[in-house]
Amino acid sequence: MKIIVCIKPVPSSNEVRLDPQNGTIIREGRESVINPFDEGALEQAIKLKETLGGEIVTVSMGIPDTARLLKDTLARGADQAFLFSDRRFAGADTLATAYTLSLGIKRLGDFDLIICGKMSIDGDTAQIGPELAQMLGIAYCCNISEVVDVGTTHIQCRRITDGRTQLVRLPLPALVTVGKRYDMLRFPSISGVRQSLAIPVENRNALDLQTDLDRIGLNGSPTRVIRTFVPQRAHGSTEIVGDANKQAEDICRIVDGVR
Amino acid sequence: MRELLNPMSKQFSEYLRDETRIVGWSEGICFPTSEHEIISVLKYLFDHDIAITVQGARTSLNAAAVPFGGYIVNLSKMNRILGMRRDAQGGFRLRMQPGCTLRAIQRDLTSKNFSSNAWDQQSLDAYAEYKKASPHFFPPDPTETSATIGGMVSCNASGAKGYYYGPTRKWITALRLVLTNGETVAIRRGETLATGRNISFYTEQGRRIDCYLPGYDMPHSKSTAGYYIEDNVDLIDLVIGSDGTLGVISEVEVMLFPVPETIWGVACFFRDEEKVVEFVMRSREQLDRMASLEFFDGNSLNILRRQKEESTAFAKLPYLDQRFAALCSLELHCPDEETALDQLLLLGRLLEQCGGKESDTWVARNESDLQQLVFLRHAVPESVNMMIDHKRKQGLDIIKLNTDMSVPNHHLGQMMTMYKRMLAEFGLEYAIWGHIGENNLHVNIIPRNKAEYDQGKRLFEYWAGEITKMGGAVCSEHGAGKLKAHLLRIMYGDAAVEEMRGLKTAFDPKGLAGVGNIIANTPGDESNENNCMHQTGTL
Amino acid sequence: MAKIIIDAANCQGCALCIDSCATHAISISNGLAQVNMDLCVLCSICRDSCPFSAITLSEPETAADCSPAEGVLVFTEQHQGKLLSVAFELLGIGRVLADKKQSALIAVLFGASSRENAGELVAAGADRVLIITDSRFDHGIEADFTHPLYDIIEREKPEIVLIGATDFGRALAPWLAARLRTGLTADCTGLDIDQQTGLLQQTRPAFGGNLMAQIVCPKHRPQMATVRPKVMTESAMDYTRQGRIIELAPPSSIDITMEILQTLAVQKQAGISDAEIIVSAGKGIGSAKNLVYVHEFADLIGAEVGVSRPLVDMGWSEYSCQIGQTGSTVAPRLLIACGISGAIQHLAGISRAETIIAINSDPDAPIFSIAHYKVVGDCIEILQELIKNYKSAGRKEWQKL
Repeated sequence: MKIIVCIKPVPSSNEVRLDPQNGTIIREGRESVINPFDEGALEQAIKLKETLGGEIVTVSMGIPDTARLLKDTLARGADQAFLFSDRRFAGADTLATAYTLSLGIKRLGDFDLIICGKMSIDGDTAQIGPELAQMLGIAYCCNISEVVDVGTTHIQCRRITDGRTQLVRLPLPALVTVGKRYDMLRFPSISGVRQSLAIPVENRNALDLQTDLDRIGLNGSPTRVIRTFVPQRAHGSTEIVGDANKQAEDICRIVDGVR
Repeated sequence: MRELLNPMSKQFSEYLRDETRIVGWSEGICFPTSEHEIISVLKYLFDHDIAITVQGARTSLNAAAVPFGGYIVNLSKMNRILGMRRDAQGGFRLRMQPGCTLRAIQRDLTSKNFSSNAWDQQSLDAYAEYKKASPHFFPPDPTETSATIGGMVSCNASGAKGYYYGPTRKWITALRLVLTNGETVAIRRGETLATGRNISFYTEQGRRIDCYLPGYDMPHSKSTAGYYIEDNVDLIDLVIGSDGTLGVISEVEVMLFPVPETIWGVACFFRDEEKVVEFVMRSREQLDRMASLEFFDGNSLNILRRQKEESTAFAKLPYLDQRFAALCSLELHCPDEETALDQLLLLGRLLEQCGGKESDTWVARNESDLQQLVFLRHAVPESVNMMIDHKRKQGLDIIKLNTDMSVPNHHLGQMMTMYKRMLAEFGLEYAIWGHIGENNLHVNIIPRNKAEYDQGKRLFEYWAGEITKMGGAVCSEHGAGKLKAHLLRIMYGDAAVEEMRGLKTAFDPKGLAGVGNIIANTPGDESNENNCMHQTGTL
Repeated sequence: MAKIIIDAANCQGCALCIDSCATHAISISNGLAQVNMDLCVLCSICRDSCPFSAITLSEPETAADCSPAEGVLVFTEQHQGKLLSVAFELLGIGRVLADKKQSALIAVLFGASSRENAGELVAAGADRVLIITDSRFDHGIEADFTHPLYDIIEREKPEIVLIGATDFGRALAPWLAARLRTGLTADCTGLDIDQQTGLLQQTRPAFGGNLMAQIVCPKHRPQMATVRPKVMTESAMDYTRQGRIIELAPPSSIDITMEILQTLAVQKQAGISDAEIIVSAGKGIGSAKNLVYVHEFADLIGAEVGVSRPLVDMGWSEYSCQIGQTGSTVAPRLLIACGISGAIQHLAGISRAETIIAINSDPDAPIFSIAHYKVVGDCIEILQELIKNYKSAGRKEWQKL
């Protein structure tokens, strides 16, 4: 079985603050890590490989530093890793990103399953999965919690949609996105690290993928971010003072009032 | 002055206990916010012959912070970091009030964000330089990060990284002590040394104090057993680890250390617990970047497995293969990734040589994975506490029985064999974990009834004797406090304990501070133990 | 190729932009900021963080589809024959946008009971309602909706398409956007028409809600957005409104790309999303064992218990209790937040609470900026007092509303 897992680098922390003196945006968490939802995706893939055999290929569109993260996936259970990297990929919105990924994946040959994280914790769009499925012309299902069975022609999963849990069946090849992080991504072992040293992360640029330059990067992005800002909240509030006992009494009064 | 003292009432009942869950009693409590207030309170209490128990965050594991009479002096409101400076070697130092928590200190250091509005110019200049420097940390790392620096200094606390970085003692450069009569002593490391076993120093008020130090020699292993005594000892080291018996620490200056570039954690599982000792011996010799080496026995792992099934709080624990019978978890602190990789591959080879397996390991190379390992390590003591609490709720009046003993390196195997053999002999439920790198293992007995509790205590006393014969220490990092004070009699003998009392008397002539800590009452006088067990019913 | 341009005249070399860059692409050289384009991902946050407006994003011309598009099209979601409230929220904002563009508001509805519900959509503001009456659409399979909806959009050529950001909507919309090769903005919390450009201005949270992004889709049509439920105001119903209901033929065949084998019992438990009173806990409670106080107090006042994300990440609580950006959005009448600092991804989930009492030992905790009542103190201590109060005063234990 050949499984492709899409990986996105995200900042290690989402903390963003406004410098109070000059209003600039300060990002915390400056080291990149694998998007936590993608970790869940990779763990699902490794579980499937354990039971069904086959290979896992991790892919990512990112800056050169992303190779470090892909190398780490090789230590945890991936067999091959591809980095689609090119200055011209920068500034891509989800459409341009999905396009780039789709070209990269098409060049990997036949596959059975693509597993993505439901969304990234910085973009929060949850759009790549379905967009990629459309471009590859394959069936897709979002927000799965478990792969129940994989046959030669179909896959059965549990998915969660608007409060309902459903058992669904999709024809292969298919794309699924992993939502809730049920299972933490397993650690690499020392033997995994040792093995990964011998496997290079393959690089592919825009030329290698023969991308249409009008459809990649900022060029290929229909949406534009015209402004980012830290949300401000101006809100007056009443302070409840006193010792814990008095504060509790006041709170009780408010609670009773609401009821 | 009157406003500072609060007579004891229901509102303050939580201050009558610490992490041992032993409940004491007291006449009242105060929360000074400055050294000045400490002095006022102490003078008043001194004049009225009222004993004092000093508290920080009450995370003590030996009832050192539990009062049995007198007044509580709680320093949790003195939680400001007062300033920063650079020393002659270009290192960074922090000066702070005793109630600063370890968690807050680490957080401010990592975020490079201090509340510096009241700092002097020298501190502000150092702060500006710190912001541009690579991040630093305060190395002593006891598990309970809500502990205060005052408490850590008082019991010379250490955590997993003590193996490489040493205990709290190593990182304290200066402190201020308020004596029970309200006088103050300013102490800076290197300025006041004993001559042999005699030491003299002056209070800031001009009075000279002379002490004769006890004649015992400290053990050759990690120790917080009684006062820190050696020839020509530094005055600061006498105070560090004194468990609140010499006065009230009102200010502390600490050294910081640059955070290593590359920190990796490795959990090494063993399918055969017997293989662990050889692994520990070899890794200590060969892995020079190992910063900590922790051990968890098969029973600890079983506790984790049960917790993962039964408790929501621990559902996120990773799955532990049934074949894993023991765990050694270590950290590598390296200047770069290449070094870390070399150490990792060396570790892998070592494991294979010692009967472990390279594939039975978990390697943490990023923040999130490292935190997972920390969560795993902390889950064991957390779980045992929850199990004890559960039994107490069911009506069993017990407290956790745990040992904190250590031995010199070559006795590690002997110590472990002795523990396991005797625990099996008496059929007790237990788990062993700890800082195996420093040969400091905590045997935790979970008694099912009073008989088992008593048996456990007897075992501890027997072990105290055997550990002493091996040249080890009966208290290694938790301090003696009240619970382990009687073990010091076994370790050093009654005469030595009287010498310790003499030392204390030089600082505290009326014997008001930390009554029952370190210096247990004479044998035959059961009041020390009874004091501890007072509120626990059947015991 | 697009790149970041530093205006040397305005750049003061203050280096504040360096802190805003997540990929370390900016450095200062000779007193001026420099961007390493090998590292730059063109996120443009530096542009928005420069106090001297010295940073701009240059873009080359993009070829795009400029054929005329008009109208606001809203996909209204129904479940088991009942329209979801988000449908009415979409019509509410859809009407506002259509009026600003002086164009029509078109609602689209698929399902066996479309005919019965179509009138509601007119009353809610739709000028035209396009329906397909077919029970095939009652299974909630996104893949069934994709092609028919695509056909409608291709035919109608709306300028704007809005879909509710339910799980269903968020699975459906991106497929359509990819098929249409147009821009889609997910989970919008704000929508407006820019006076000058006439473009749809889409505001949405990013970075877990810590940052707000304003997005436009200048040259591609339709401009698509999924809209977060419970944020926009439902339109007022006016049953005298006139509107056309147009019945479309059901598609001749649907490629089966997903089958639902089983729908497990719908979670009918009182989830926090619908709770009227919530007691929530954050890292400030100190340890997992302190959650027992939170639960006890909640039980006494008939409240549900929610938690902030770190508690779920640390394994102290379940995902089903998580409130915030990646958890549930709640709109209770009363929220008592204990030991929650108020990281903005959490605030995103509670902004619609009517009354918020926040308890935190840090007087500067961000949660106080949206709390109606500020309580500075040890939340565990206060919880214990609250529990004592409720037990001793013999207040009757409230049933959960």
